[in-house]
Amino acid sequence: MNPPAKLYFDDVGIGDEHRTPAITVTSTHLALYGAVTSDAAVEAGMVPELLPLCLSTGLGWRLPRPPLVVLAFMALEWHILKALAVGDTIYSRARTVGKRTLREAGVVIEEHEIVDQRGDVVQRGRFTFLVGKRPARDAGAGSPSVGAGTVGAASQGGSHGS
Amino acid sequence: MLFWGAMTDDRRFFDEIEVGEEYESPGRTVTESDIVLFAGVSGDYNILHTDAEFMKQSIFGERIAHGLLGLAIQSGLFTRATRAYATVAFVGLRWKFKAPVKIGDTIRLRARVTAKRESEKPECGVVTLERRLLNQRDEIVQEGETDLLVERRGV
Repeated sequence: MNPPAKLYFDDVGIGDEHRTPAITVTSTHLALYGAVTSDAAVEAGMVPELLPLCLSTGLGWRLPRPPLVVLAFMALEWHILKALAVGDTIYSRARTVGKRTLREAGVVIEEHEIVDQRGDVVQRGRFTFLVGKRPARDAGAGSPSVGAGTVGAASQGGSHGS
Repeated sequence: MLFWGAMTDDRRFFDEIEVGEEYESPGRTVTESDIVLFAGVSGDYNILHTDAEFMKQSIFGERIAHGLLGLAIQSGLFTRATRAYATVAFVGLRWKFKAPVKIGDTIRLRARVTAKRESEKPECGVVTLERRLLNQRDEIVQEGETDLLVERRGV
């Protein structure tokens, strides 16, 4: 059986773009998010500022492409431009703007925007990820031993990364 | 309807917050339930957070919390670290994820006001806080700066 397909550092190109499906932010999201984090919006019925960002990472997994082999989330620069209310529907779009190769992995910088149902950009910023390189022999990509090597690199790069 | 009108407003306004103020939150132990719930609500089921068997083989030795879970938890901890700011909005963030948070780790927030500046809105100002999320060994697991838009009193 073949291991699930993955998108490695080598497969990512500057200028690559994607757009996720959309999700409606519900009071259930607020309740669950609030229960885990005890984070809340200033006003009732409004969406805590970090929740759309969290939802956008999940939306990224729903793209019709293999998932990026993210070994570590290194850095984030983020701007909140507009408040969202319960019932608003958001999607995320992203563009790869930077790539830097390290010994065992690579750094990928993506610009992200979260857009609401009116087409307004409500949040935007940059994600910096440490991404695994394609193993020399891809046959074992899904096996824990290869994974162990790449996740090992994550810890190194993650702690020493910019 | 604003609740505050009828009560003494003891929130801290822009003018009262001083550069150099420091706060420390209570600790918060991150549990498996936190990670499972966060995966559920965010939809981020990356194996780093959800596949215990795979992660046994990794350098971490176990599942680790989502970086954004730590970020969201520190946002919640901030409200327990100081008397509430008269915050209008959280407007910006510059953040680094430095080390993993594992199940059972106890994290706390240490925050310091580093800057205050005028906003385009005359009734508000921007307060910048430097924030460090520390674990039980006092290691910095996340750190960065946040910008909050805070009301001026009586404007």
